[in-house]
Amino acid sequence: MNKLINEIRSNRNTDRVIKCDVPLDIEMDVRYKGQKSTNIPNLSENTLLRHFTNLSRRNYALSTTFYPLGSCTMKYNPVVNEKIAAFEEFSSVHPYQSEETVQGSLEIMYELEKSLCEVSGMDNFTLQPAAGAHGEYAGLLIIAGYFKSIKEKRTKIIVPDSAHGTNPASAALAGFEIISLKSDENGIVSPENLKAVLTKDVACMMMTVPNTLGVFEKNIAEISEILHQNGSLLYYDGANLNAVMGIVKPADIGFDVMHINLHKTFATPHGGGGPGAGPVGVKAFLKDFLPVPVIVKENNKFKISFGDKKKSIGKMKAFFGNFPVLLKACAYIKALGGAGLKEASEQAVLNANYVLSSLKDKVSIPAGSVCMHEFVLSSKGHLGDGVKTLDVAKKLLDYGYYAPTIYFPLIVEEAMMIEPTETESKQVLDEFTDVLLKIIEESVSNPEILHNAPVNTYVSRLNEVEAARKPKLHW
Amino acid sequence: MNYIPVNEQDRKEMLDRIGVKSIEELLALQIPESLRAKKLNLPEGLSEQELSALFKNYAGKNKSNLVCFRGAGVYDHFVPSLVDEITGRSEFSTAYTPYQAEASQGTLQAIFEYQSMICELTGLDCANASMYDGATAVAEAVLLAVRTSRKNKIIISSGVNPEYLSVVETYTKNLDVEIIKIKIDEKTGALDKNVLQSMLSDDIGAVVVQSPNFFGVVEDMLSLSETAKNKNALFVTIVNPASLGILKTPCEYNADIAAGEGQVFGNRMHLGGSTFGFLAVKKALEWKIPGRVVGQTVDKNGKRGFVLTLQSREQHIRREKATSNICTNAALNAFAGCVYMACLGSSGIKELAETNISKARYAFNAIKKLEGFEPLFANSLFFNEFVFKTVKNVKKIEKALLKENILGPLNLGAFDKKYKNCLMFAVTEKRTKQEIDKLTDILNRA
Ligand SMILES: Cc1ncc(COP(=O)(O)O)c(C=O)c1O
Repeated sequence: MNKLINEIRSNRNTDRVIKCDVPLDIEMDVRYKGQKSTNIPNLSENTLLRHFTNLSRRNYALSTTFYPLGSCTMKYNPVVNEKIAAFEEFSSVHPYQSEETVQGSLEIMYELEKSLCEVSGMDNFTLQPAAGAHGEYAGLLIIAGYFKSIKEKRTKIIVPDSAHGTNPASAALAGFEIISLKSDENGIVSPENLKAVLTKDVACMMMTVPNTLGVFEKNIAEISEILHQNGSLLYYDGANLNAVMGIVKPADIGFDVMHINLHKTFATPHGGGGPGAGPVGVKAFLKDFLPVPVIVKENNKFKISFGDKKKSIGKMKAFFGNFPVLLKACAYIKALGGAGLKEASEQAVLNANYVLSSLKDKVSIPAGSVCMHEFVLSSKGHLGDGVKTLDVAKKLLDYGYYAPTIYFPLIVEEAMMIEPTETESKQVLDEFTDVLLKIIEESVSNPEILHNAPVNTYVSRLNEVEAARKPKLHW
Repeated sequence: MNYIPVNEQDRKEMLDRIGVKSIEELLALQIPESLRAKKLNLPEGLSEQELSALFKNYAGKNKSNLVCFRGAGVYDHFVPSLVDEITGRSEFSTAYTPYQAEASQGTLQAIFEYQSMICELTGLDCANASMYDGATAVAEAVLLAVRTSRKNKIIISSGVNPEYLSVVETYTKNLDVEIIKIKIDEKTGALDKNVLQSMLSDDIGAVVVQSPNFFGVVEDMLSLSETAKNKNALFVTIVNPASLGILKTPCEYNADIAAGEGQVFGNRMHLGGSTFGFLAVKKALEWKIPGRVVGQTVDKNGKRGFVLTLQSREQHIRREKATSNICTNAALNAFAGCVYMACLGSSGIKELAETNISKARYAFNAIKKLEGFEPLFANSLFFNEFVFKTVKNVKKIEKALLKENILGPLNLGAFDKKYKNCLMFAVTEKRTKQEIDKLTDILNRA
């Protein structure tokens, strides 16, 4: 039976986790002393092991199934990296240890920074941001700091309507006004549309390349030219970097600032929601605005430098960043090497196009018949009566697959975004494609089974409306 | 090494199906030639064996597993084996954010239990699924207070961890928010409610106080909260969850928002990250909270289940009007916190707090007896961290301790000249009597 922890009766006897080997000394003034006790049962280890292990069995994960979640790059997370990250030599160090005592950790961060520079073409990176959105936020603060330093008042940021929600949200948090830019009929940014909204107070434009439709922005050189002519900068949302490693460097094609989602492109596991890491890279003219501290190398020693604090945007989070995530990304890069990274991107593109080629005659592909590492289909007009993309997604769960990203990007109706990644075999892709086509057929022949899906999961279709109408947020 | 399970034969069949000769052709169809990159200048890939050896080598360059008397926001607590066993399960660690609820009940129920335990611990009504860390949780708490109070002036204690203060500064610098710092009293190391009283006015949105504060001193939260509330300011508290088994909880002093660092619960120090931040609020603020929130609901057959909820606050729906830009958070670290709290249970949480304070007092009393060491805030209550001023050579002390594999107290003078020769000690349940005695002995001889 599905019990919550608080519904299990306390059953622990004396197996304490901790023991006090000094006299108990706990007197204090009633002003400070808490009177309330918590209602968390005292449970034996056996009870808890069973409870949580059973929970784990109610999850689909990358380690159990194909996870074609578009925009999220659910590629294989190498197990060796988990082992390395758990070394006590790394896990037991305190952030305020002196630099001589953490040379190994600092070297890993330094190596990662250099590798990210090479992959992206940027000159410097900060490893501090904890996720993609956090990186966006840092990047935009850097841009704000830059314009302040050259005494230009620029208050607006252009965000294409195909962008991820974090882009405009980060821009707002960084104090900017947002101009939403309509994508053209091919789903990309057109120079003409850009010119129409570009004004002198535009600080930057945020772009995802390839964009969220899986399309390479082929006018990027012209777009970069237009923006830079206007004195504006170009920000690269690196969520889709997995398409272009060793193929295109964002800095070379006009971008000034970017973030990378290490938990996507660089194979660190997503943890059911985090932790991630969103290092931010900049061209040299923005270096002084990076968060502090940075790691520098002097006489073969690694140092923690607070540099020229005056221009720095400050700190984005405490300490250095999500170290185990950084380590795993570094290990991934070392394992693949330069050629391996390029091969990964190439295979990601091939896998996506392979799936696309089997689907393109059966559904609409608004962005055309080739793609980069992912593509977006629209099921509108291809499904049976009253059947939605949501139903298709739920039916995929019944076949043991996690569902692709749905209803994103917002500019495609009934969108389904498929990103196979390079670490899936041809067999997996074939089987998945067959199932997806079968479900589309079933939606016509037997729409009810889609409406009723899923039936093979631990729970059937959940009532999200009710959850939000009468929120029950704790036991 | 590469992790690609596609061989040459497969690759050829795939290209044939697509109708191109090579991957290069696929790329050339989409990317202008002039934009293509040169070969990456990175070393050749490594085998698993070489990779492990390389990182063993890096590992050997750290001085690790020290007997740790250092804290200042990150603490060396014991992590029960069950935490690693559970959070290491790939069913949890390799899942994404639970967008497909029916296929993510493991993660969703785990987060729901986490939220519930944070509510139990703080006494508040709604906790989100986690923030990146304590510092960003505090920064988000400040923004939440601004949104809720519709006032842009926030008073924040200078006793708040300086890392958190820096992040708050970063987060607010481009917004129309004014951060007003209130000094702690030099004698007590705590805030003076009369000073707070004198700084309050109708246009102050919230008062943000950390207790125990950065210097380890426990604040009189009851009076401070009452003082803030009398002027209709929200009371935002930053707490160390390990202390809540003995100290007053946020609800007991009527806090509106509680935030803090969760590392102390089941997460290793790892150079300060990854950890998780927690954020909990009163019922009235639940629709304004940033980040993911899991709620309970039922499925088609009336069976209980869990989903991401209150989503119309979030970036993927509200875009620039969202309550925050956060998307990926620190779910697995928060889950470690959840398993940790479950391992301890109510009585363990109490024992944890009592053991920490007892050991810290034991160490404090021993150091106080030494010549050349004076407590900086002699009469103030502390939890597991305290400051001594010494006439001895701070560098020499640090060296002598390190020689014995002890990571000694933090030298506060390195942060702020005002605290020259001040050493901040943290003593958790993990430190044994023997280790504390050895510390004292070395301090004595230094
Ligand atoms: C295109 C795009 N941008 C930004 C983000 C935000 O990244 P994170 O979740 O790491 O904050 C995502 C993540 O889903 C994304 O797909």
